[in-house]
Amino acid sequence: MSDTEEPTPRPAELQVLPPSRSAWRNLSLVWLVPIAALIISLALAWQSWSQRGVQIEIVFSSAEGVNAGETALRFREVVIGSVERINFTDDLANVVVTARVNNEIAPFLDESATFWVVRPEVSARGITGLGTVLSGVYIAGAWDDDRGTPRTRFEGLERPPLAAPGRLGRRITLRASDGVGLGAGAPVLFRGVEVGSLETPRLTQAGDAVLIDAFVESPHDQRISSATRFWDTSGFSVAIGTQGVSLEVDSLAALLAGGVAFDNVFEGGEPVPDDRVFDVFPNEPAARRARLSSRGYGGVRLSVAFGDTISGLRPGAAVQFGGLEVGEVSSLSAVVLDPERAPGDLELIANITVDPVLLGLPSDADTAATLDFLETAIASGLRARLATSGFLSDRLTVELASVPDAPDASLDRDAQPAPRIPSVEVDLPDFSATAEGVLTRITELPIEALMEQAIRTLASIEGFAADPALRDAPGAAVDLFEAARDVVTGPDAIALPGELRGIAADIRGMIADLREDQALANLSIALANAAEASADFAVAAQQTPALVDDLRDLAAQAEALEADKLIRTAQAFLESAEAIVGAEEAQDLVPGLNATLEELRATLAELRDGGLIANANAAMQSAADAADSVATAADTLPSVTQRIDNLVVETEALVASYSAQSDFNTETLTALREITAAARAMSQLAREIQRSPNSLIFGR
Amino acid sequence: MENSGASQHRILTAREAGYVGCRMCGRANPVGAHVCTRCGSKLPTNGRAGLQPVWAWLIAGLIAYIPANLWPMLRTSVFGRTQESTIIGGVVELVEYGSYGVAFIVFLASVMIPIAKFIAIAYLAITLEGRTRLSTHDRMKLYEVVEFIGRWSMIDVFVVAILTALVQLDFAVAINPGIAAASFALSVAFTMLAAQSFDPRLIWDGPQKAGHYGKSGTKS
Repeated sequence: MSDTEEPTPRPAELQVLPPSRSAWRNLSLVWLVPIAALIISLALAWQSWSQRGVQIEIVFSSAEGVNAGETALRFREVVIGSVERINFTDDLANVVVTARVNNEIAPFLDESATFWVVRPEVSARGITGLGTVLSGVYIAGAWDDDRGTPRTRFEGLERPPLAAPGRLGRRITLRASDGVGLGAGAPVLFRGVEVGSLETPRLTQAGDAVLIDAFVESPHDQRISSATRFWDTSGFSVAIGTQGVSLEVDSLAALLAGGVAFDNVFEGGEPVPDDRVFDVFPNEPAARRARLSSRGYGGVRLSVAFGDTISGLRPGAAVQFGGLEVGEVSSLSAVVLDPERAPGDLELIANITVDPVLLGLPSDADTAATLDFLETAIASGLRARLATSGFLSDRLTVELASVPDAPDASLDRDAQPAPRIPSVEVDLPDFSATAEGVLTRITELPIEALMEQAIRTLASIEGFAADPALRDAPGAAVDLFEAARDVVTGPDAIALPGELRGIAADIRGMIADLREDQALANLSIALANAAEASADFAVAAQQTPALVDDLRDLAAQAEALEADKLIRTAQAFLESAEAIVGAEEAQDLVPGLNATLEELRATLAELRDGGLIANANAAMQSAADAADSVATAADTLPSVTQRIDNLVVETEALVASYSAQSDFNTETLTALREITAAARAMSQLAREIQRSPNSLIFGR
Repeated sequence: MENSGASQHRILTAREAGYVGCRMCGRANPVGAHVCTRCGSKLPTNGRAGLQPVWAWLIAGLIAYIPANLWPMLRTSVFGRTQESTIIGGVVELVEYGSYGVAFIVFLASVMIPIAKFIAIAYLAITLEGRTRLSTHDRMKLYEVVEFIGRWSMIDVFVVAILTALVQLDFAVAINPGIAAASFALSVAFTMLAAQSFDPRLIWDGPQKAGHYGKSGTKS
């Protein structure tokens, strides 16, 4: 293009531009860089746009702890999205949390999806969600594995759902008289094993009961049948019975948070429909007693009119048929028979509910079938009557029994408020007066007979003591001695060894001393000597060890010398001696022994003269006095009985005071409520700390 | 403008003498040479580097600068609580914490300087046509400032890299770079390349000759 260094001038070269050098050819390769950057940027933008997920809205009443751009959405603890922003609903009543969810998850968000905020929670059952104290709360979701019609707006739950969607189990509805101790999350126990949990109690439309949804996990849900009864395990129960006072507390958690337990109270329960409402009984015995699984459900309502007083009959009392509980009294009422003629003449009506199944009817029997059955039974003599429910109880039950000679009656199907079963009056005189009935039973206890028996016993003792034969006892001993002498003087007794003879001589010498001294004290020494001597005697006459033993015993007992014992021991000794003497070997006893016995007899005679019998008589006299005192004491028994009566009445009042509405119970429940409130306050504190951890450091 | 400056000291430029200087080794090669006779580096066909690379790098830098500001620069997780902050978000946060000085430095290095560079390079490239109020000398100074200051924009990227390397305490505290860190580094690199590919001699060539030599540049 430009000129070179040529010496000679030449025509200027034409500036020739390549014709093919288009604008595109001029482009530098560097332009690929911005193009690549643009493409990459756009690709990134598109990728993040397409992967930003589906936007959903969750409505909560409060967004406590939820932060836009920070709070994560989790499913099975895996992050599936995050909160984008938080605003209010149009009426400012709720908070709308807008979140984005991964595209893979979004199709599952159908109407089964539930969301709740996971916060740290401190309760009686433990601490949950502790990890969120540091990491902040997150929104958890749960849904089943079906791809339903996706939704984008959901109602958030205040608490984690009882059972996550897709979990196997059964949802049932419980009905309780109040919600105390049946808080959300309280356990459902089966034989002490937690098999489910409760949701928040809600009031019925009428406000007369509390309904609680409960979830029982599979496979335990198969245990629920028409035989299933639920009872409240919260709190503790104090029972005063024949076995003393028993206090039952299930667990501290149950004490604070409550819970229900269930069991099948009889075999052969039928499957129940899903809409069946189970009653929660106040305690286990009540649940086991109750035959009707649920008041007003599955039972046939009937009524019975009673002419006489029904005091003692209360709602909840059993209805028995052949001794088996088939239902219960649901309510009591009074109807004026004839307002015009006799305004004061009332008819007392007990409304009862009877389970047809328990009557023996098939499980699908309806009200009409039950009434047909009852009609037939009434035609053949079935009547309702009152009966006592047990010993020492004033409670009445309604008994359906066959009364053979009852007047003709029939089932009144049109009666109000329920079909009426004819009743018969029963003579139950001690029903009306509770205390009187109890006292009557106590006075009927065979106390008098017992006392009579005691007096008779004492009298026979006295008679025995006064028996002349007893006085003849010393005479009999004399006879014995004589017989013994006869034996001893027998020819065989001569053959006794010389040593034995010597010993006998010693004994005779000692007894002679005893006589000389005229003191019983010396007899002790003498007998001790006799014992020593008898050792030799034992060596000499091994055939007579029993005699020697008895001698030793005699000596030993003489140590503690008392006249009567001495006599008794001496008698025993003499008996033994007689036995020995009766033996062949004893025939050889020396005549010295005979003399000894002679001396003994003399001693005994003296002893008798010493007033032994008189003493015995005196003893018997005092026994008689004692018996008289007992008799006198027996006279005061009626007043004792009276006291027992009072005690029973007081016990009854005590037992009654532990019933549902008593002060004690109320106070206990109040205390428990305060404990619950304290636990709640702790939970709130934990939430507060979680919400603003700074407050721990900086105070507030 | 240039005429007034040149009229005082009339200097014969290499270009007027029919030479073109090599930007690598400085040797004056005859106009028309494709390769430097000393160092062998390629010489622009027109004697001057075109403006095409300048504009290309500049646009690439601009494109990279957009995600650098939109996406998070740092991902900080403290006790499981993850927070992502963009450049502007970080500046705002620093201001909220009262660290005005640091906020100003970050804002200067990450926002003002890059944007000023874009504007300056674009200005230099455009004003080669002549309609300008700055003198040739001022524009030359501007170019040198741009080229000098370009590397300092990398300070942000260095901070991120150092923090990422140092603060890795597992659950307690962890800092990870966001996608914006890479974009920002690219953006800075692209603008530096744009400044480098700008041939400052074009400033001195003057408007009348720029039309001739910067023909390819004007097309873009």
